[in-house]
Amino acid sequence: MNAELKSNQGLVPLAAVPLITCGAHSHDAWRASALSRLIALGLPTSRDDAWKYSSLNLVQRRDLTPCTDFSAPAQLLSSLPERQGATFVCLNGQLIAELSSGVLPAGVRYTPLNDLFDSPIGSMRARLRADDSAEQRLRLLNAVVCTAGVAFDVSAQQTPVEPVHLVHIATHHGHYPRTLVSLQAGSRLNLIEYYLSVDDSSSVSVPVTDVELAEGAELQHTTLGLAGMNSVVYADLNVHVGKNARYVHRSLELGGLATRLDLKVHLDASGAEAHLNGLLLADKTRQIDIRTQMDHHAPNTTSSQLYRGVANDRGRGSYEGKVVVHQGAAKSDSRQSSRNLLLGPKAEIDARPQLEINADDVKCSHGATTGSIDEEVLFYLLSRGIDHDTARALLIFAFTDDVIATLTDPALRREVEKRVLASLPTAALIRGFVQ
Amino acid sequence: MTTNTQNAAILEITDLSAEINGRAILKSLNLHVRAGEVHAIMGPNGAGKSTLSQVLAGRQSYAVTAGSVLFRGEDLLSLPPEERARRGLFLGFQYPVEIPGVNNVYLLKAALNAKRKQAGLPEVDAFEFLGLVREKMQLMQMDESFLSRGVNEGFSGGEKKRNEILQMAVLEPVLAILDETDSGLDIDALKVVANGVNSLRRHDRAILLVTHYQRLLDYITPDYVHVLMDGKILKSGTASLAHELEARGYDWVREEAAAK
Repeated sequence: MNAELKSNQGLVPLAAVPLITCGAHSHDAWRASALSRLIALGLPTSRDDAWKYSSLNLVQRRDLTPCTDFSAPAQLLSSLPERQGATFVCLNGQLIAELSSGVLPAGVRYTPLNDLFDSPIGSMRARLRADDSAEQRLRLLNAVVCTAGVAFDVSAQQTPVEPVHLVHIATHHGHYPRTLVSLQAGSRLNLIEYYLSVDDSSSVSVPVTDVELAEGAELQHTTLGLAGMNSVVYADLNVHVGKNARYVHRSLELGGLATRLDLKVHLDASGAEAHLNGLLLADKTRQIDIRTQMDHHAPNTTSSQLYRGVANDRGRGSYEGKVVVHQGAAKSDSRQSSRNLLLGPKAEIDARPQLEINADDVKCSHGATTGSIDEEVLFYLLSRGIDHDTARALLIFAFTDDVIATLTDPALRREVEKRVLASLPTAALIRGFVQ
Repeated sequence: MTTNTQNAAILEITDLSAEINGRAILKSLNLHVRAGEVHAIMGPNGAGKSTLSQVLAGRQSYAVTAGSVLFRGEDLLSLPPEERARRGLFLGFQYPVEIPGVNNVYLLKAALNAKRKQAGLPEVDAFEFLGLVREKMQLMQMDESFLSRGVNEGFSGGEKKRNEILQMAVLEPVLAILDETDSGLDIDALKVVANGVNSLRRHDRAILLVTHYQRLLDYITPDYVHVLMDGKILKSGTASLAHELEARGYDWVREEAAAK
């Protein structure tokens, strides 16, 4: 099989990836099928429009072999905000029991990925299985090499108050976490994910996450990108929202060398809602690419997207948000807002909201701005005797507040504020203002 | 006229000309303001009223092309805006900006401390400061929620203007320039704002009211009224001039000036 991979130019890095057999027959068959599809499609190259803004040569030069070292640096966890509820810690998708803590709230069940192939939970198994014919090539790559993963499902009408924390740690080489979240009718869950890596790690993580929300369910989903300065995280997240169900996503991209998030949300039935919020902090030489697609498949569906980007130094960010209102999805309501702040002449942010409407009687709005600090607002602060550096730092911080304000967990909010502040060159000047 | 502090010159504008994007707005404007006085600058839209306010406060987008401005005898135009504020100049904005994420009270405290530092005073005690703010908030009829909100975040037009006067009350400027403070206010809010301004009238402070309408002057009686038209002061008078303008409009002022 490796010989076949080598013959395909786009798959050169994958040639080094050994196929580990899992034992579970159906799982192995699925992986083999994903591999042949991946060979047919090839890995993306910079010629692909969808990959224009993401640095692929970074990945191609790196060792993508799945990490098999499960000795976790426990001290990494001490950098996380204070947590209530259960914490699951995974290395390369593998649950590390000695680092995990707490118990899952009543009604929430954990299943290891391997068991999922043989025990149906909702339609999670079907979703998982369908992935061997996915269009997204990193999703296929994950399917080929992931050997472990976690699945959470919440029983009908269960609404636990305590959040569930899922920590992904990357050490070196390739990391292929796979997460499935299924909420049964009327249930609710607050899931907080953290992406960490050891300091000098030149790891590549390709996490794949699937979410499905049954009628009236609600998932509050927060992802904190806190990987080290040399780590790459290319994530793929797919969400299905059922009748009157609600999905709220907040992604705080504060770390890593290169981060990419492909987020696809399907509003499958009437009354479904999704609200996506994101903060991109592209300082130093960071690259952060957010690509969303919001599909309104049914009538009376609602979506909003709020993304804020700050680029400094040689940082580069991009937001490409596509909203598709399908035929018959009347009375769809969709809003999109992308605002970006450039702080240096070499910083760059590309914002491209797109709208495709195939139905009548819909309400859609989108706006994107990219610019530097508003001179009028700066003047207001100066006119109050605030010095120039402080005023500037304050306004950068305030710019991020639209997204930070959506964090309902106070400890998490403080942690994010702390990290945003730390990324500002003049943080010390404004600490008092924002505490 | 004596030269005691009561009558000290606060603002001396001499032959001031300013432009924005190459377009001349102020054309050789003259104005003298002394301590204890309230001056109203009136004029039609586009006369240069807001430009005057912004130039005095140090907005960079306006270029001063000629003239001088002395603030308590010191060259004002050579100072950056933050230095002007610290020396006691306050501009109440026509359109106060919203800054979500920057706490209203922290801004106020930082502004006060910047001013105190300039005067060689220590930072204000946190407890005393809160007491001071609460007292002034009561004067402006603002509720407790203002303490925890972002600067003007989600404020109504009236609340924003009240917040400006609150800032003025806390910062105790030597010269307050209130740019169209009455615009967008209903009658109740106008009374609160006017009452706030009146309570801040002092023998050692000057106030410049920049306004389009006479309405505000029903509640704050100015010592002098000036008509700003075509980039300069065309006519000056006492409070009765405001009523005359309300009754007759502005055109006669230009005709009268042209006939001179």
